[in-house]
Amino acid sequence: MFRYLVRRTLWAILLFIVITFVTFVIFYVGPNNPARAVCGGEQAKRECLVRATAKLGLDEPMPVQYWKFVKQLVIHQDLGTSFATSQSVNERIKEAAPVTASLVFGGAILWMIIGLTVGIFSALKPRSLTDRFAMVFVLIGVSAHPVWIGLILEYVFGVKLGWTPIANYANFFGAPSDSGQPGGPWQWFYHLILPWCTFALLFAALYVRMIRANVMETLNEDFVRTARAKGAPERQVLTAHVLRNALLPVVTMLGMDIGISLGGAIFTESVFQLPGLGQTAIIGINNQDLAIVQGVIVFATIAIIIFNLLVDLLYAWIDPRIRLT
Amino acid sequence: METAPAANPQTGDELLVVEGVRKYFPITRGIIFQKEIASVKAVDGVSFSVKPGETLGIVGESGCGKSTLARCIMKLLESTDGRITFEGRDITKLSRPAMRPIRREMTMIFQDPYASLNPRKRVGFIIGEPLEVHGLGSSNEIKRRVQELLEVVGLNPEHYNRFPHEFSGGQRQRIGVARALAVNPKLIVCDEPVSALDVSVQAQILNLLKDLQDDFGLTYIFIAHDLNVVRHISDRVMVMYLGKVVEVGSREVLYREPKHPYTGALLSAVPIANPELGRSRTPIVLEGDVPSPVNPPSACNFHPRCPRFVEGHCDVEDPPLYSFGNGHVAACHYALERWPMDADEIRRPGERTKSEHPEQPLPA
Amino acid sequence: MPLLDVKDLSTSFRTEDGIVKAVEGVSFTVEKGQTLGIVGESGSGKSVTCLTIMGLNPKRNTITSGEALWKGDDLLKMKPNDLRQVRGNDISMIFQDPMTSLNPVHTIGRQLTEAILLHRDVTKKVARARALELLGAVGIPRAQTRIDDYPHQFSGGMRQRVMIAMALINDPDLLIADEPTTALDVTTQAQILSLMKTLQEDFGSAIIMITHDLGVVAELADDVFVMYAANVVEQATVYDLFSQPKHPYTWGLMGSLPRLDADVERLTQIPGQPPSLLRPPGGCRFHPRCPYVMEVCKTTVPALKPTPRDPNHLEKCHLDEETKEREAAKLLAVTMAEAG
Repeated sequence: MFRYLVRRTLWAILLFIVITFVTFVIFYVGPNNPARAVCGGEQAKRECLVRATAKLGLDEPMPVQYWKFVKQLVIHQDLGTSFATSQSVNERIKEAAPVTASLVFGGAILWMIIGLTVGIFSALKPRSLTDRFAMVFVLIGVSAHPVWIGLILEYVFGVKLGWTPIANYANFFGAPSDSGQPGGPWQWFYHLILPWCTFALLFAALYVRMIRANVMETLNEDFVRTARAKGAPERQVLTAHVLRNALLPVVTMLGMDIGISLGGAIFTESVFQLPGLGQTAIIGINNQDLAIVQGVIVFATIAIIIFNLLVDLLYAWIDPRIRLT
Repeated sequence: METAPAANPQTGDELLVVEGVRKYFPITRGIIFQKEIASVKAVDGVSFSVKPGETLGIVGESGCGKSTLARCIMKLLESTDGRITFEGRDITKLSRPAMRPIRREMTMIFQDPYASLNPRKRVGFIIGEPLEVHGLGSSNEIKRRVQELLEVVGLNPEHYNRFPHEFSGGQRQRIGVARALAVNPKLIVCDEPVSALDVSVQAQILNLLKDLQDDFGLTYIFIAHDLNVVRHISDRVMVMYLGKVVEVGSREVLYREPKHPYTGALLSAVPIANPELGRSRTPIVLEGDVPSPVNPPSACNFHPRCPRFVEGHCDVEDPPLYSFGNGHVAACHYALERWPMDADEIRRPGERTKSEHPEQPLPA
Repeated sequence: MPLLDVKDLSTSFRTEDGIVKAVEGVSFTVEKGQTLGIVGESGSGKSVTCLTIMGLNPKRNTITSGEALWKGDDLLKMKPNDLRQVRGNDISMIFQDPMTSLNPVHTIGRQLTEAILLHRDVTKKVARARALELLGAVGIPRAQTRIDDYPHQFSGGMRQRVMIAMALINDPDLLIADEPTTALDVTTQAQILSLMKTLQEDFGSAIIMITHDLGVVAELADDVFVMYAANVVEQATVYDLFSQPKHPYTWGLMGSLPRLDADVERLTQIPGQPPSLLRPPGGCRFHPRCPYVMEVCKTTVPALKPTPRDPNHLEKCHLDEETKEREAAKLLAVTMAEAG
C-alpha cells in the first residue's frame, strides 16, 4: 500500500511538471506577446513594452522563467501575479474556486439523483414506457450542447417566466453590503438552480445510461440467482447484491468527472456569467495572461490528481478483489 | 527399477523432441523499476518425444501446465529454458520469419469453439487463411481446397460463406479441425478440443480425429483433463502435475498399472458409468487443493497430498523418472506396486507394513 | 407421501423468435433421503425443470403449467412470499460455476449468515456459529479465520464447498444440485461427490443431481431419468438403467462415452445435433437422429410407458421389446467388456 502511494505520488509530480511545462511552452511558442497585450495591444508604446517585458520577466530565457515559476510555487505556494490586473493569482483563484465548486458539487448531486433513480428503474423494467422515456432523455442529454441548453433554460425560465435569475452568482456567505449584489444562502441556491440543471444534464444522461447497463448486466449474474435461491426477497437482492456490484464502476467515473469539472465547467459558467475557474481561464487566455492561465491549470491539475487518487483508494476499499500493489 | 535420467531415450526418428522445457512467468514488484521477486513456474522441466504417426496424450488438472506447454511447443510462448527439436531441427530460438515454414508442419486446435473462430469472418476465409498466409495456391485453388476440407470434416461445402455463429459447437470445432488440417501438417497439437462439447458431439469429433489420423498419417499431441477421452485416443499418455511430468506410459500399461500415486488418484477419481463397479470401490480422495505454482512444494511437488509420503525422503530428494520397462516411467520413490489399490491399501509404505504382517514383531 | 411430486410440468419461454418449449410434460417424484439423477445434454431441459420448481425463471415471458407438489402444496401456484420461505430453507439449490455463484464483495461469512437470517429468527452471533459449524462440516480448513475471507480468496473446489454449506445450513429436506462438479477438476470432483454423499447421510436430505455425466449418476443416484429435447425419454433405478437401457438415445449416450474400463475402437456417435426447441421435430423428438427410426416415429409422439418386466422402468419409444433387449445387450457386451 505504501509502495503504491509512493509510486502514485511520483507519477503525480511527473505529470505536474509535464503539464505546467507544456503550458509554458504553448504560451511562448504562440504568436502573441503578453507584454503587448498588457500595454494595450496595437497601440503599445515602446517604453511601455520595455517596462512590461522587464516586469513580467519576459526577457529572460524560457527555462529560467519556468524555473522561477516552479520555485515560487513550491517554496512560497505563490502562483504569481496576473499580467493583466496585477492581482495575486492566488487571490483570484481563491475567489473563483468556490464558485466552480458550488456548481460542480451541486451538479454532481443532482446528476447522481437523476442517474440512480432513472437508471435503476429503467433497468428493472426494461422496455417499459418509463424506460423508453429515459432513453429519449439520454439521447437529448448527450446530444444537446450545454450552451444551447443553458441559453434555452435562461430564456424560458429567466426571461420569459421570470422564475429564476438570468445570470450571476451570489456568494453563499453574503455579499458586501455596499456592492448591491445579492448574497446569502438562499440567493446562492436560487442563482444556481439553472446552472445546476444545465451542467448536470449531460452527466445525468451518461450516468443513466451507464447505471442502467450495469444494473441490467448484474441482474443476470450467477450470484444474484444464488441470492434468490436462498430465498432473499427481491428488495434485498437488489440492495445487498445487485447494487453493491453494479455501482462499483460508477464510483470511478464519478471521481474522474468531478475532478475534471473542477478545472472549470466552462460552458455553463460562460452562459450564466458565473465567475468561476472556467471564466477566469478564458479571460486569462484572451489577455494572454500566462500567470492566470497557469494558475488555473495548476489548480485543476492538482484537483484532478487528488480526485483520481481518492477514487482509486475508495475503489480498493469497497471492492475486496482489488489489491493495490 | 533403475533410474533413467532421460525420460525418452531417442532413436533418431522422432518428430518432436522436447528437452527440459521451462516456462516461468515473472511476478514483479517495485516503485519505479520492477524487480522480479517470484515467478509462476507454469512448466518446470518437461521432457518427452513424439514419434511420427503416434498420439501422445497429455493429461493433468488445472494448473498443471499442459496448456502452457502446448503454447511453448507451438512457439506461441517463448520458453524460459530448454530445447525443442522438430524433425531434427532445433526450433527453440528461431526467429519469427524462420519459424514460418515450420508453422506449416505443426498446427493447433483449440478448446473453445465459440472463441477460437473470428466471428466476423466467413468460414471459407477462416479455413483458407493458413493457405493464403503460406502462399499455397491461387484463390481459386484455395477455395477448392477449403471446400474439400469442409467435406473431409463432415460439413457441407456449400456453407463456405457462412459465419461461425450459424454453426453449432460441434460444427465449429470441425471448422477448427479443418483449419488445422488445411496446410497438410505433420503434427497437430489439440488443446482440449472436446472439453466444451456435449458427450454425443464429443464422440463425433473424437471419431473424426481418429479417422483423419489414419487417412493423412497425422501425429497428435492430445491435451485433455478427461482421462477417458485421453485413453481412447492416445497411444502413449503423459501425466503432468504442477508443471512437471509425473508419469509416462503406453495407454494399456498406464491405465492398468499406474505407478505414480497421483495417476492412481486420478484414475480412482474418474466416475465409472457402471453403478455396480463404481460403488464397490473406495476411491482415493486427495486432501486439499493443488498448491500454487508460485511456491511449489520442495523436492517432489506432490508430497504434501501424497498418501504414500515418506518424510525425510520425498520432501528432500526430487524423484527422477524411474524406469519400469518399455518406456514406462514415473517420478516416484515409492511407486505403486500393483493396481487397483483403494484408499486403505495405498497408504505409506511404512504404515502398510504394520497392518500387513500383524504377527511379525516390529523391528526393534 | 413423497416429498416432491411433479406432475406434467411444462415450461416455455417467449422469445423474439417464437416460443421455446424448454420442458414438456415432465413427471417424477422424490422421496425422503432419495437421490434422483437427471441426465441430459445441453438444451435437454434438465436445468429448466428444476429452476421452474424453484420459481427461479424470469417472471416475464415464462409460461409454466403442471404441478409441483411439495409436501402437498403446489410450488407453482404459491404466493411469492410463501415460495421464498421454501427456497433456501426446505429446498436448496446449488449451481454449476462456483467462481461466479458467490457475491464477490461480501465475505463468505456474511453470505452464509444471510442464508440463515433469511429463515431463522436468531441473533447474528448464533448465525455465525452455525456458519462455522457448516464450514467445518464441508471441510474448509481453518474456518475461524477463513469465514471472513472473500470468495476470490478461495479455489474453485473450496468455493463449491462453501456453496454446499450455504445450501445445507438450514437443514433442507431437498438439495438440488445443478451440475455441481462440471466446472471442477476430476480429483476435486471426487472430493465434492464424496462430501455430498457423507453430508447426505448426516443431514438426511434428498438430492436431485443434474448432470451430463453418466459416471456421476452411476456413483450417486438411486433413480435416474434421462432427458432429451425437453422430454423424459427413460426413467429407471440406476441399476436398471445401466443394465437394461431401453431407449435409443440412452444407448447412444452410453455408447459415445470413452471408457476406462473398456476398449472401444470407434465410439458410437449420435449423428446430427440436438434439435431446436423453437420448432422441434414432429412425432418423437429424437427421430431425426435415431438409427432405428420407423415411419410411426415421425408422426406419433410415443407415450412414456412402463416396460413389460418392470413397472418402475419407463421409456418413450415405439420400438418393440425384443429389439430393445437385443440392442441393449449388444451395447453392454461392448461397453462392459472388461467390467467385472
